[in-house]
Amino acid sequence: MMDRYTIPQKIGLYIAVAIFLTFILLPFFEMFMASLRPLEHLFRSPYQFWSEDFSFQAYSDMWETVPLLGRYIFNSIYIASMVTAITMAFVVPAAYAFARMDFPMKSATLGIFLAVNMFTGAVLLIPLYRVLRTLGLLNTYWAMIVPGVAFLIPTGIWLLRSYLEKIPRELEEAAYVDGASRLYTLRRVVLPLAVPGLIVVGVAVFIGAYAQQFLFAITFNQTRELQPLPAGLYEFIGYQSVTWNEMMAAALVGVLPVMVIFLFLQKYLVAGLTAGAVKE
Amino acid sequence: MATLDLENISKSFGPAKVLHDIDLAIRDKEFVVFVGPSGCGKSTLLRIIAGLEETSAGRIVIEGRDVSREDPVDRGISMVFQSYALYPHLTVFENIAFPLRVQKMTQDEVSQRVARAAEILQLTDKLPLKPGQLSGGQRQRVAIGRSIVREPKVFLFDEPLSNLDAALRGDMRVELSQLHRALNATMVYVTHDQVEAMTMADRIVVLNGGRVEQFGSPMELYHHPATKFVAGFIGQPNMNFVPGTVADASGGGVAIDTVDGARLVLPVDTAGVSTGDAVEIGIRPEDVRLGDGLDLNIRVLERLGGVSIAHGALSDGTRFCASLDGNARIEEGVPVGLTVDPACAHVFKADGTVLRRQAAPALVA
Repeated sequence: MMDRYTIPQKIGLYIAVAIFLTFILLPFFEMFMASLRPLEHLFRSPYQFWSEDFSFQAYSDMWETVPLLGRYIFNSIYIASMVTAITMAFVVPAAYAFARMDFPMKSATLGIFLAVNMFTGAVLLIPLYRVLRTLGLLNTYWAMIVPGVAFLIPTGIWLLRSYLEKIPRELEEAAYVDGASRLYTLRRVVLPLAVPGLIVVGVAVFIGAYAQQFLFAITFNQTRELQPLPAGLYEFIGYQSVTWNEMMAAALVGVLPVMVIFLFLQKYLVAGLTAGAVKE
Repeated sequence: MATLDLENISKSFGPAKVLHDIDLAIRDKEFVVFVGPSGCGKSTLLRIIAGLEETSAGRIVIEGRDVSREDPVDRGISMVFQSYALYPHLTVFENIAFPLRVQKMTQDEVSQRVARAAEILQLTDKLPLKPGQLSGGQRQRVAIGRSIVREPKVFLFDEPLSNLDAALRGDMRVELSQLHRALNATMVYVTHDQVEAMTMADRIVVLNGGRVEQFGSPMELYHHPATKFVAGFIGQPNMNFVPGTVADASGGGVAIDTVDGARLVLPVDTAGVSTGDAVEIGIRPEDVRLGDGLDLNIRVLERLGGVSIAHGALSDGTRFCASLDGNARIEEGVPVGLTVDPACAHVFKADGTVLRRQAAPALVA
């Protein structure tokens, strides 16, 4: 391909990207630096960028300050995985129906799904609390999984529907002519072709579930053993002092799984989000 | 005996009626081509036969059994799509085997049938490949392979060659004709290309605006087009239409005054015309030769070697095309005289219907 940018344009681009990335990554960097500092450093003035006594001590101490930390990290991943699995189970058939079938109120329903997305969970916390109490789900994993699933289904449907619509209709017609049922076609033809799209939606849902669980956890769950990491981080705030360095260390360790997933699936994410943008 | 009868098929999409009372009887083992311009309803009609679209009215009868409300697979049809519709994630073997897998056939039977189809289509060494690794012609053959393994009664083809380049299309035409003979099956083939229709069909259905203009053998359509539309559609280059006025319709033919005051007496039925009617004379480019008669002002001359195609206009401005000898002594910009053999000309009334020719050229020995 031809080089479309001149040298000054390229320099400008890189500067813009650098500024953007600084904004995004600086908090992570500061988190990392804070996690390395001894606690007394944090309250010292003037600010010291580097000193001899920086260490990874916080990364081992945090497990003792908050003994359930491992459990919290596991809970986070467990809840996010369950939310993802259940959401996908609902989203796949729904998105397929929206992509391929005709039924009354189709676009109205899609619009409603989009509208639901515009409410943040916070607005609905109190009604949700009542619903969960009536169902007897408070203080269980389900208290965090069920609302998570409910709030992520609309996004999932919108994302996957547009992906499924790009699979040529003739493939399904060919399968239908050859006697395949809708479900057989979905399983043998549509889903294998939709794998990149499924990965994109799955990752988006997982990240969404990981991010939103804090709100549901502090509202619908009082059981310590079931708390996810964001809620568990509160335990670093003690009566006397806040062990900021350990909290930062724990937070970094907690987002690590998501980062790893991102690294591995990044290729699919980019391909999926731009699918159909270019004629292949 | 795989006969296919379409009885009064109509189809509407909302208020738009795209097919009007289509009535066709397709014989066993016949190769029938639906041809017409885009939007004439030919693909819709094929999809109705396949069961991908429902009829608004009418019946589809295969082997004497009404299948109008049945699923495609129960109708005993199979279809080859324009885009091939191969499954990109499956190997050629699994693509061809797909209909058999649906039927839950045993692995032995599947292998046997796929191998047989692959052999007919010369795909045996391609079986482990994915469709993406094949050329256009090979993909087309895979699509055909998938349609033949199930051994259907009727094969449907929806513009299967339109994605291929010209040379390959010529080869595939021959292959499809051979396949038809080898399988001895009823085939319905949709195309907008009249050359494909003429070369492959036992009989051609010319569709226009959702109606059957004419149903007949290729040479019947060529020599006895029922309407001006069919006459203009069949034959390459297209037929010329020259305006004229009926001077006398009382004799054994019709005398017509046309351009340059020329009077042609054409041996056609005189029923339905009277003196003074405006008509059009249909003259095929290949039915003229150099001589006296019409003056053609040549604007563009295409020398193809064997023939020379002269495009131009008559003295009254009517566009006219003549297919002349490859070595004819003619030039762009220089007028030439053309003689028309009256026996070869067609006459169309103002409503587009034809006056039946009394004689058509017999096949030359």
